[in-house]
Amino acid sequence: MHHLIPLLVAVPLLGAGLLVAGGRRLPRPAAETVACAVSGGTAALALVLLLNSSPPMVEWVGGWRPVDGFSVGIVVLGDGPGLGMAALASLLTLAALVYSWHYFDEPPRRHAGSFPALMLLFQAGMCGFAIAGDLFNAFVYFELMSVVAYALTGYRIDEPRAVQGALTFAVVNSLGAYALLMGIGLLYGRTGELAMTRIGRALDAHGAPDALVLAAFVLVLTGLLVKSAAVPFHFWLPDAHAVAPTPVCMLLSGVMVELGVYGVWRVYGTVFAGPGGVPAPDAQRALLVLGALTAAVGAVMCWYQRHIKRLLAYSTVAHTGLFLVGIGVLKPEADDGTALYVLGHAGVKAALFALAGILLDRYGSLDEHVLHGRARALKGVAAMFALAALGLAGLPPFGTALGKAVTEEAVGGPFTALYVAVSAVTAGAVLRVAARVFLGLGPKPRESAAYETTGSGERPETRQRLTRVPDTMTAVPAVLLAAAVAAGAAPGFAGVVADAVNTAGSGGVRVAVHWTRAGVLLGLLSALLATGLAALAVTRPALLSAPDRALPLRRLQSGHVGDYVAWLLVGAAVLGALALPGVLGG
Amino acid sequence: MNRRMRLCLVALGGAGLAALFTAAFLRLPAFGGDRHPYGDRAVRAALHRHTANTIASVNFDLRAFDTLGETSILFASVLGCVVLLRQARDEHRARPEPADVAPPVRRYALLVLPVAVLTGLYVVAHGQLSPGGGFQGGVVTATALHLLYLGADYHALERVRPLGAYEAGDALAVSAYVVTGLAAVLAGTAFLANTLLPYGTFNTLSSGGTVPLLNAAVGMEVACAVVVLLARFLDQAVEIEEDSGK
Repeated sequence: MHHLIPLLVAVPLLGAGLLVAGGRRLPRPAAETVACAVSGGTAALALVLLLNSSPPMVEWVGGWRPVDGFSVGIVVLGDGPGLGMAALASLLTLAALVYSWHYFDEPPRRHAGSFPALMLLFQAGMCGFAIAGDLFNAFVYFELMSVVAYALTGYRIDEPRAVQGALTFAVVNSLGAYALLMGIGLLYGRTGELAMTRIGRALDAHGAPDALVLAAFVLVLTGLLVKSAAVPFHFWLPDAHAVAPTPVCMLLSGVMVELGVYGVWRVYGTVFAGPGGVPAPDAQRALLVLGALTAAVGAVMCWYQRHIKRLLAYSTVAHTGLFLVGIGVLKPEADDGTALYVLGHAGVKAALFALAGILLDRYGSLDEHVLHGRARALKGVAAMFALAALGLAGLPPFGTALGKAVTEEAVGGPFTALYVAVSAVTAGAVLRVAARVFLGLGPKPRESAAYETTGSGERPETRQRLTRVPDTMTAVPAVLLAAAVAAGAAPGFAGVVADAVNTAGSGGVRVAVHWTRAGVLLGLLSALLATGLAALAVTRPALLSAPDRALPLRRLQSGHVGDYVAWLLVGAAVLGALALPGVLGG
Repeated sequence: MNRRMRLCLVALGGAGLAALFTAAFLRLPAFGGDRHPYGDRAVRAALHRHTANTIASVNFDLRAFDTLGETSILFASVLGCVVLLRQARDEHRARPEPADVAPPVRRYALLVLPVAVLTGLYVVAHGQLSPGGGFQGGVVTATALHLLYLGADYHALERVRPLGAYEAGDALAVSAYVVTGLAAVLAGTAFLANTLLPYGTFNTLSSGGTVPLLNAAVGMEVACAVVVLLARFLDQAVEIEEDSGK
């Protein structure tokens, strides 16, 4: 069975290769069918492997098993979290491919296979990163995933904003990747090893941490945090997510950003958690400060958007902040909760992007103000949008609610309040959009002279504006929402997830995960607060939409790549400062 | 954010990072030491598999899974370029006029062209024996073809460069790499395991098991990829023009 793990990468790669080779001959429906079959097959393989991942599997690619504890080869991991992320990425790729069935205006001439092929390459990159047990191998698939994401983001080349967003995305993420590579270089220089567990053990054997370990920690984390869009590395995300084609947004927000968080969890746990790594209080400080900042900035910025995709993008930033706090407290319960939260969030967020895509293709706009009351006819879409918003808030029995509740109990104190507030504000913003766009509630917002990204100039991604929403475009968000509910409601599912996470990390400490009264009440509170905020915003627009107070924060999102690079440098230096005390003390 | 503020931030972050780097590099092992934990193991493994060039052994045997990722990155970049550099709605194609080439340039380019192509193929073919290999040789071969652009003109280049074939070749080479890996799985061993073919006689062209096959696949992939990549950029520079009416 373990020999099949690398196929999670090989199968989509082969699919992409054949699609490009035959893409000139294949008619479009055939190319799309092949892509769906390949990504679906990979998803099925990931699920089968997942079911067999207890006890965790390990595979040495090329058969280079260790001799006397040393190997020259590459190890891939077949444990719950790795295979789980691979399965999530594969299932979302399938969902995005089904959603984009016959979707795009014009595929590049004589290249009907190129969009599905890029999606398959994206899937291969994400799966490869998820199962990597070797740090350099993780970097290679991290790069594959990034390169494809840049191309997919800029897919609509006729839109200047798409090209600009893709360029920003590419510059900032490439710098992050260089940082990651330099960090790997430092670790290799010290230990002569590339497999994560071996690096960790070699660092421990070397003794107390020094400046080299700190620098490696900072550089590796910078790369991963750029991908997971933590403040102040986050600026690329709203610019890219707002302009990428909708199916791509589903993948970027649903799983790629979360893979960055997963990478931080994996790398800290296996490489830096030992006595030779970065002491726990320092890693905790770094992750908690950045996580809380990310959550707060994401939530505030989310509230002030009127471009619906940008609003959703900022809500992703806010939730990544919560995930970082979750893994940052370094408690097994919080890890379990975060894993469930990520699963639920993937379903809810991908569904929200899919529904926003329907608005764009039907009405040719993504501006909350312009769309005011225009989507009254789309009853089903409206219901799903509101339901997804409540899922984002953490209304039981969504998977987000269970994950959030478990994490809230583990983090405790002010962080619990942060979780409630951030999920209420982001969900409130989405509910506000739902109330205005689908129900036409409240006065039509007045136009202000201030420049902002409104989302009214967006062009539909389909050949012409849709008159009737295709079934695939409504079925996909429905299934995603159902899956998000199932993640929380299916009996025993949470226990299985927690078990898998604890087996792979947390030093083998096992904790039980289930609904508690306090958790349900906190979930209901978030949902209630979100509804209240949305109601207030719709009925008294002047009260909560005074943009002046957040203006300095909004100005930072300038769209200038140089600014983003400057912030990246500052962020890396801050990360170093936050983790410094432990190294000095050692 | 104005320029001054940005420079301040860069200086601040840069100074912090520079301090961190300096402190870290002082702790790195000194240059030229005699401790090479991975190198020693890799050389032993390469000799065991009859691969004379240890680098090729690392690339196509020990860490062939990394190379699969790297090849795919090139493949994905080329595909991304094909998609992003397609003709936009407000662009049209114009046939480029042939330009005059100075006779010495023309003579030199046409003379060197076959030598350069042959050198590239040689570098690919001997990847498992001597420095070089698929990545390097592929680039040499692909750029050699472009001597035609320098020595003759764009039309001449286009005649030896049916883009469709090169795009298909790029994709098929990646597929061939994957299929070689899958063959090992079908045989019941690990993905990309170099156990299917005999290792041959040390230091001959056919030594190293699957190393020459994977090396050739990468050579073909890189050559095709570079041709397609350059073609797309040349297209933008030479053929595609923005509509002047807008």
